[in-house]
Amino acid sequence: MEESPLFWPAYIKEKTLFVLDETLIPTKVKYIAVKNTKEAVSVIRQMKTRAFGQFLVVLNTFLIELSRNKGLAPLKVVKKMQETAKALNASRPTFPFADVTSIVVGWSQKALAEKVEMYSYLEKHIFGFLNGIRFRRLERVSKIAALIANGDSILTHCNVSGELAMAAAMCRKENKKVKFYATETRPYFQGAKLTAWELNAMGAQVTLVADNAVASLMQERLINRIIIGSDRFCANGDIANKIGSYQIAILAKEFGVPLCVLTQPSNTIKKGVDIPIELRDPKELLSFEGKKIHAGNVKGFYPGFDVVPHELITETIAVETGAR
Amino acid sequence: MTKEKSIKKRSIVLVHGIFTDAVLKGFKKGEQYFVLEGRPDLLASKTTIKALAKKKIVPTVIADNMAGFLFYKNLVKEVRLAYQYDDESGVLCDIGALILGVLGRTHQVPVNLYQGQLRRRFLAPQEDLLKFNGKAVAAPETRVYAPLVEWLANEYITKRY
Repeated sequence: MEESPLFWPAYIKEKTLFVLDETLIPTKVKYIAVKNTKEAVSVIRQMKTRAFGQFLVVLNTFLIELSRNKGLAPLKVVKKMQETAKALNASRPTFPFADVTSIVVGWSQKALAEKVEMYSYLEKHIFGFLNGIRFRRLERVSKIAALIANGDSILTHCNVSGELAMAAAMCRKENKKVKFYATETRPYFQGAKLTAWELNAMGAQVTLVADNAVASLMQERLINRIIIGSDRFCANGDIANKIGSYQIAILAKEFGVPLCVLTQPSNTIKKGVDIPIELRDPKELLSFEGKKIHAGNVKGFYPGFDVVPHELITETIAVETGAR
Repeated sequence: MTKEKSIKKRSIVLVHGIFTDAVLKGFKKGEQYFVLEGRPDLLASKTTIKALAKKKIVPTVIADNMAGFLFYKNLVKEVRLAYQYDDESGVLCDIGALILGVLGRTHQVPVNLYQGQLRRRFLAPQEDLLKFNGKAVAAPETRVYAPLVEWLANEYITKRY
């Protein structure tokens, strides 16, 4: 299967983690070298990577810290894993970092209790976990492609880390004629920079629209399906996803368009209202590449995510991460 | 910085479109105005912000995809939209009005329509969406659809002024 660079946007080579700088796409495909937890937290906070990229950075950061701290006593390794987890958990509020980091910390505690060789045990489990996720995500790409019918016109929002573009490529091989509409996704333009770029690169027909054109697309029957990702999943089926997802979901219900969400099930949060929503610095909204957008005195308000209640979701396609 | 906790429930007047000067003169100090950017040309927000500045009103700008969040949190008390043309079935508004109309009806928030300035075209040039504030945000070969107006049917409108 042909892969988009956004499908697996981080890799380890010789004790260094290389993270795809998504803010430079489509101008450049460049990787940032990350050598420790502090640098990993920084790439997450600055949104150099997001969504699935964050998951990869988290797991690979434990591997970097293991290779940086060879020779530590087992108890000290557990403490190092706990410190690493704590720093990563505090990087951004909405993505369920603790769900992922607690798994690795748990492995280190188990290795200590069972007196097995700590380093190889942790490396084996982390690599095994990553390989499992990779396999299940590839499976999900096939499921997305199977969901898409010949003649479909699909709206997507923000970016689903390569999976939709790869499903589009599969559809093309199966001679399905499919159109995509991508919202630009203000203020970071993930739709314009990432989704339109990767769908185009995979040979799909994609049209970029402003975030405020989504109702028009539905009213004019220009789309018949919506596929979005999710950053957080609740026990009752509510999700959190990029800001803009709630109004898309409300419109989908109003105009009878099925809404499919790609999820990573977890029950650590019961319902959507309990999800911590990140409020980002409004400067990121009021200026662009260092230049102010509006003259005069204005304030800004920038919530990073929306909650979508489960009753607005038609279908989910899940990848089990083991996080609970 | 406007913080969510500092916003009272049902306190925000959500403003979208290019209003006439006469309508903008009627905006009052003491209200909490949230202005949508109005991609792709940002003309709606720039016009409103300029007019409100003359009255020493400092509005809060949000991106066009953030209105739903405010409704979900029950922070909106009124939607104020500019329309350019009307007939017995509805009105022609700036793109984005239908999102606010549907959200308003869903959350039982009044959606009030005011006279707006007439747009000279219904589609924006490709460049307006491929760039933001003069800088490229998408690859130049990207296909673009950039409507500037859309129809808002009466079912989503509370009152026309």
